[in-house]
Amino acid sequence: MIRTLISFVSLIILSTSYSALAKTKVTWSMESNADRDPIMIEKLQNAYNNSQGNYELVIEFEDNETRLTSMRTAMIGGMGPDIVETPGPSYVKEYHAAGMLENLDSYAAEFGWKDKMIPWAYSSGVFEGSLYAIPKTHESMVMLYNKTLFEENNWKVPTTLEELEDVAGKIKAKGMNVFSYGSDGWQPTHEHLVGIYLNNYAGPQAVYEAIIGEREWTDPVFVEALELLKKHMVDEGYWSGSLENYYAIGWDDFHAQFANRGAAMMTIGTWTFQATQLGIGASDDEWGWAPLPSLSSQSPDPNFMIAIGTTMSVNANGKNKDGAIDVLNWIMSNKDKVLDIAKDFEFGEMVVPLTLSSSDIPTDIAPQVQDYLSEYARITGEGNYGYCTWTFWPADPGVHIWKDMEVVWAGDISVEDFLYDHQKMWDKARKNGDTLPVPLRN
Amino acid sequence: MKIFFNKSFVAWYFVFPVAFIHLFVIGIPSLASLALCLTDWRGLGEINYIGFENFIELFDDRYLKKAIINNVIWTIAFLTVPVGIALTCAYLLTGIKRGQMFFRLAFFFPYMLASVINCQIWKYLFHPIHGLGGFFERIGWEFLAVSPFTTKSTSLFAVAFVDGWHFWGFLVVIYLTGMYQVDNHLYEAADIEGATKFQKFRYITLPMIRPVFVFSIMIIIIWSVPVFDYVYILTGGGPAYSSEVIANYMYSQAFERFDVGYSSAIGTLMFFYVMIIVAMFGLFRRAGWDI
Repeated sequence: MIRTLISFVSLIILSTSYSALAKTKVTWSMESNADRDPIMIEKLQNAYNNSQGNYELVIEFEDNETRLTSMRTAMIGGMGPDIVETPGPSYVKEYHAAGMLENLDSYAAEFGWKDKMIPWAYSSGVFEGSLYAIPKTHESMVMLYNKTLFEENNWKVPTTLEELEDVAGKIKAKGMNVFSYGSDGWQPTHEHLVGIYLNNYAGPQAVYEAIIGEREWTDPVFVEALELLKKHMVDEGYWSGSLENYYAIGWDDFHAQFANRGAAMMTIGTWTFQATQLGIGASDDEWGWAPLPSLSSQSPDPNFMIAIGTTMSVNANGKNKDGAIDVLNWIMSNKDKVLDIAKDFEFGEMVVPLTLSSSDIPTDIAPQVQDYLSEYARITGEGNYGYCTWTFWPADPGVHIWKDMEVVWAGDISVEDFLYDHQKMWDKARKNGDTLPVPLRN
Repeated sequence: MKIFFNKSFVAWYFVFPVAFIHLFVIGIPSLASLALCLTDWRGLGEINYIGFENFIELFDDRYLKKAIINNVIWTIAFLTVPVGIALTCAYLLTGIKRGQMFFRLAFFFPYMLASVINCQIWKYLFHPIHGLGGFFERIGWEFLAVSPFTTKSTSLFAVAFVDGWHFWGFLVVIYLTGMYQVDNHLYEAADIEGATKFQKFRYITLPMIRPVFVFSIMIIIIWSVPVFDYVYILTGGGPAYSSEVIANYMYSQAFERFDVGYSSAIGTLMFFYVMIIVAMFGLFRRAGWDI
């Protein structure tokens, strides 16, 4: 009898102490990447878990396409991860409309998130007046160039259309491609180029007006912008030599092409900084970056297109909403930790849009990246920012802008017809309430 | 009670588990999908009934029409090229006594490879830098330097070629199996009559393997409708929808544009198309065709 009693009491003590020690799990479904995952485990998952005793963050990595489908299926079934990671606001919009995301207003107010974030980035997660998503990474488009090659040939880094076309002629005369880029493996690459031409030819103000419905996409300024893109892509073969080569070349190829002087420049997003540093950065050549050239008098000043790469939200049906909020707040409150993660990716990933001062920028990253971060903050701080299509376009026109651009480049339809269809899609999206948050211009 | 132990009833006990799983995995989702074609569902959230709006939009969709035409071209291409080559090779193989197994394995090998591997092989072969493209450019044959997957006029045929390359070995095996069933006496009689090899093929082999042959035609027609993986991996339906097929277009509508209702309407069309083909073959069989 005494033995049974002792066993029973021991069992109670053990289970009580276990539950005291055990942490509640917080799950996060994250896009997998062989290079990135170990850093995320060490500097995000483990760092968070070691910082407190209540929750255990578990990051589940999966290929993005599979992850998005399985996460969506789980969430329809009232389950899914506690922290919902999406590739951008158009996905957040869908989840929000379905009532699957937690309203973060009270937490944002309690923890002062709004003051910690860049204003435009904060507003990108506001749907129907309430906060539903926080950007995990924000990004922009830049022009990279082979600095050594430019210096050897006395070429000037282009800042205007005339300068671009002039240097392009000289680069081609040397038997090189003007820009290294391609869409194999990621067809939406086209939208990077479309965005550049819309913002740097028509100008961010015109794009903003079209996004909010005060200007039609059929406006001549957009027609001219896309005609110029078509000329550079199809007639001039600026990207990888020809339209066909542009379609055939993927991520590794265009980085290799840039690194081995197959091309003198590259138009790409800032997510590439790490790959660039590992590619051309490891060669004898030095690389530089510049804002994308102004392509018309309607866009005279350099601007940076703003974009959200990934977002973080809390699953309204999650098992551990408090834990998910705690993880988000840890990210928002530990600027040094977040910068330490971003540093490992040369600020190409996990660039949470926290407000930074110049002293926050790490000094042990590539000098080009340091320079970019300062310039980006200065220029966007002055209000000179444009709009990336994957952040501000609703789903249907967002697909149309890249998928059907091929039809224009193939000469099957005119730019005018393309933009007429595009306007119809925007009208439909606006009517259905599918448009996405856009920061007000100064 | 006795009826439950009746011989014909017992068979149902064996069928039941599979039928039960099919009901939940295929039957109910298929019916749900059919129902979704009358809605504006975007994959998440509320579902609104919109009648035949998706179908009205569908008949006005120029890219769907393009995809349907491409599917028809694809079907014709598969009914001719792989079938012709497979029939010829299978017939020639029947005449080989030594090393036949090697050829059978060699022809069948691509069929055993995953589609993504087959696609990567051909993608790299035609790659403008790493593949034959670079070689042709160096020797000055620039018209061959461009990847056929990235040219509007060739992309569909290039993808069909890769899929056909992987598929024809399978046809060889089934035709060969059919040819081995043919009574050898018929060939001996033909030899006595002085028939040529072609005449034996035309008047003995082909009629005798008709059930296998018609079966292969039927599966080619049916399998050509949901063709997806090779198109998705090699071209994504591009450039400029030149290699777009119905299944890839349906995928794009559902998972890129979040228009699940519209995508279901496309799926419904595909379903009825396949049903019509199956019904046609059923009618032919009823009419006494030996298939």
